[in-house]
This record gives sequence, structure tokens and C-alpha cells, in this order.
Amino acid sequence: MAYSDKVIEHYENPRNVGSLDKNDDGVGTGIVGAPACGDVMKLQIKVEDGVIKDAKFKTYGCGSAIASSSLVTEWVKGMSVEEAGSIQNSQIAEELSLPPVKIHCSVLAEDAIKAAIKDYQEKNGEKNGTGAGETR
Amino acid sequence: MDMDHFERLGQPAQHALDRDALEHAYLQRAAAAHPDKVAQDDASAKRAAMEASAAINEAYRTLRDPVKRAEYLVKLAGRDLDSSDPDSGAPQMPQSFLIEMIEHRERVAEAQAGGSLDALRDDIEAQESDALSAAVSAIDGGDHEAAARHLVVRRYLQRLLDEIDELD
Repeated sequence: MAYSDKVIEHYENPRNVGSLDKNDDGVGTGIVGAPACGDVMKLQIKVEDGVIKDAKFKTYGCGSAIASSSLVTEWVKGMSVEEAGSIQNSQIAEELSLPPVKIHCSVLAEDAIKAAIKDYQEKNGEKNGTGAGETR
Repeated sequence: MDMDHFERLGQPAQHALDRDALEHAYLQRAAAAHPDKVAQDDASAKRAAMEASAAINEAYRTLRDPVKRAEYLVKLAGRDLDSSDPDSGAPQMPQSFLIEMIEHRERVAEAQAGGSLDALRDDIEAQESDALSAAVSAIDGGDHEAAARHLVVRRYLQRLLDEIDELD
């Protein structure tokens, strides 16, 4: 039950809460849920020239889930889509000092960013007939 | 020690239980296993009695609650809803359902601002109750996979109800 200072800091002062326009071609939306506890997480990225310019989230869940998604949105801004896709839940858990019972919150955040990237890639693959990462 | 909760309290492994029979079985077994009944100077007998008591209490806590009882029956059938393992844990919900859960939250915020939170809560509580009924029907029909999905839906709705109650 004891949350680390970093979790509390993100929980009380979450970064990048909000929504981006999901109909924007440059926006990828990932929505994931934790069936065991009922937490739901929406994470969105806005991509320009293969780089994540903005990221927003809305998480309905415990402090650790909110902190995990807040941290991920902070991290991915300025990353390439490929870099963001390689974020591992273990990095999130380590940064936030999550206890074992809260590891699934970091897994949820990893799943959310991966789902947002996949959504972005599918949108752009379909629209332009090119694969993701091919921006020219 | 390999007894399940139903065996421990002498009840049939099904969702429909006779509440009076369950309570009677619990009280009888709890009294028989009470740690005060063993010799005070016999440490190992005392520990065994405490373990037996704890197991009986746990069985009763699980079986007397309709939700816990349903989740436990699904667990006995191979789906532990407290685990996120895709094969033996809580099943993942489709994207459309998760989007609906996010939209419910947006409605909650609007209802709170507009003073209609009670009506929304009633609506969600009715859905939660329907999900449990659907799960029980599926359990009765032997379809534990369907029951697991209904129970996960119920958990998401329960989470939403808890959030609404925290707003009051």
C-alpha cells in the first residue's frame, strides 16, 4: 500500500492529462483495460515526421496506473515512434519503484503506448498505402 | 488441505445455495474447529486448529457472497479472475467495451456537473446486476468461459460504481 514518492508526485500532479483528436491522421489512440481490477487507460500520441510531438492520457484507476501512464506520456514526447515502441514495463516499474502487486499497472501503460502506436501505424498504412515509419 | 470451499462447508459446488444451510454448516464447523478447544499447552495442535479455523472462515466469506461465489466457481473451472494470464486468468475485453467504459466516465463527469449522478448510478448498477445474472446463468449452464467474461464486465462496472461513490 505504500506508494513511492515518485508515484505520489505523478498522482497529485499528473502530466499530460487530456485528449487529442482521435480522427486526426497523425494521432494514434490506445485504449487498454486491466480485467482483474477494472482499471481503464486511454493513451494518445500525435506524430509528425516520425516523431511524437504530443501525448495525452486519461486513466481511470489506482495511483500506480495513473503514475505509469503519466510517466509514459512524459517519456515519449520527442521520441521516434520506434523508440517509444521499445519502452518496457520494467523500465516504468523501476522508475516508479512499483511493488510487485502493482507491476500490472506498468504492464498496462506499456500495452497502452504499444496500442496507440499500432493505431497510428494502421491509420497511416491504410490511408497512404505506406508502412509506418516511411514518412516520405 | 486440498478441500475446496464447498467441500469444506459440505455444500454442493453450484451457485444456488441454501443460505440457512450454509450458515448452519459454517457455525457448526467453526465451533468444532475453535482453537480454544485444543489443549493450551499443545503448540502444534493449536496451530493446526488456527489454520483450520482460518480456512473455514475464508470458505464462508467466499461462499456467502454471490459475486465471490460466482468468481470462485469460475476459478475452480480454470479461470482465476485475479490473474491477467490470457489462458487461465481474466479474459481480455474487446476494444469496443473499453471505449464504452471510457465514455461512461465522461458521462459521469457530465452527470456530476448536471446533478443527475443518481440516475446514472442506478443505470450502471442495473447493468452490473445484469452482468452477474448472466454470469450465474452461464455457470448453471456449464459455460465457464462465458461466465468469466460476464464477471469481468461486472468488475469493470463495479469499479465505475466505486468511483461514483467516491465522488459523493
